[in-house]
Amino acid sequence: METKPSNGSPAKFVDQLVVPGDVILDLSTMAEQTIKLGGGLRQDCDAISVIKAGILRFSKPNKYWVESSQKRYVPCAEDSVLGIVVDCKPDNFLVDIKGPSVAFLPVLAFEGGTRRNIPRFEAGTLIYVRVVKANTGMNPELSCVDVLETLGKKLPFEIAVGLNGRVWVNAGSPSIVIVVGNAIMKSESLTKVQQKIMAEKLLQRVQQE
Amino acid sequence: METDRKDGRTPNQLRPLKCSRNILHRAHGSASWSQGETKVLAAVYGPKAGTKKNEDPEKACIEVIWKPKTGQIGKAEKECEMIMKKTIQSICLLTINPNTTTSVIVQVVNDDGALLPCAINAACAALVDAGIPLKHLAVAICCCVAEEGSVVLDPTNVIEFVFGQQMRGFAYLVFPNSALSALPEGSYLVNGEPLEHGIITSVTHGVMSVDEYLKCVDRGRAACAKLSGFLRNSLQKSQFPSDTSSKAA
Repeated sequence: METKPSNGSPAKFVDQLVVPGDVILDLSTMAEQTIKLGGGLRQDCDAISVIKAGILRFSKPNKYWVESSQKRYVPCAEDSVLGIVVDCKPDNFLVDIKGPSVAFLPVLAFEGGTRRNIPRFEAGTLIYVRVVKANTGMNPELSCVDVLETLGKKLPFEIAVGLNGRVWVNAGSPSIVIVVGNAIMKSESLTKVQQKIMAEKLLQRVQQE
Repeated sequence: METDRKDGRTPNQLRPLKCSRNILHRAHGSASWSQGETKVLAAVYGPKAGTKKNEDPEKACIEVIWKPKTGQIGKAEKECEMIMKKTIQSICLLTINPNTTTSVIVQVVNDDGALLPCAINAACAALVDAGIPLKHLAVAICCCVAEEGSVVLDPTNVIEFVFGQQMRGFAYLVFPNSALSALPEGSYLVNGEPLEHGIITSVTHGVMSVDEYLKCVDRGRAACAKLSGFLRNSLQKSQFPSDTSSKAA
């Protein structure tokens, strides 16, 4: 029932089912390394323990997370979600993103947004936004700016994004489809500013050809 | 040991266990747990925004609603709700989602002895199904003490006679599950004992001496190690959605 491996090797647990309470990593044996923890894991002094049941995954060079499926959404930064506007305040829209608390969408967080052209959303409007900040204890913050706009200024393409994780891209030539696809895949872990820079670099390379 | 029990089990043997998860489509997490004929269904909703009036807003709040099979809700049900709430509060990480409420609804489908432990096991499986962050899992068991001091596990409602004696007291015990650990053996000890030796909850009825109680705790702990292995296996199967039920005898 209980197996306690003699060394702190995490490889034994990767791709295995882990349940809350399992300790998957002993940090005292890895003094000089940085580890990134994703969802489902928590640091307890020198031990990394599991808080959600699922399969432990590892991606090089140093990221661990627990893969599990849930019905309730937990807001994380850099997630794209569909939200329904619940209320309007002077500085924020209150948006329901089906998480533990209502999220704020600042009135100026739109492409070319200024105090003069604030969009008017009524309660019940469906919007597609990105989560900017999602700290525990605070309401998540959203934004409507994204990288597709930067690409769209120079390249003509059609895109449909589904909540089941599939994205459909269509354009005149295959090279544009590939550029858009690469831009989307690369922007997964970048911040807003980094995404813009990355998109612009890709565009420059395309126009050089 | 003689198998003197009505259903032919030895004093240390548990009834057949069955656990299914994700059975209610609208609940955020759900599980059904049966031990023999006793069956309990648990559903978890949450975390939802806002806490109740007298609860600490710095922590998540847990709410338990117990629904009996027949009859109105009375004091016995409220007592079960309170015991379950305290048990669940000690296994959940309450600081991760402050100012939220998680509701656990327990529906008794059939009562044939050891109802509260069955309900606690079902609630724990439902919490895992809902993805609520937990420190560790909880496994519960019921131990009875006979007239002459022998201990019997997992009784049914029919008054049991072991070696011709009647039960004079029983205890519900809840232990943390046995966890796999990457730590070298002996490093993660609390007061010199591994985590699974702790007790989360203990409810006793009837009369028993201190030695008998400690014997119950030892037997219960050993049986809970098997239960936590069963729970781990049933979670394993549930990762592949085609088969969400598992059985063990």
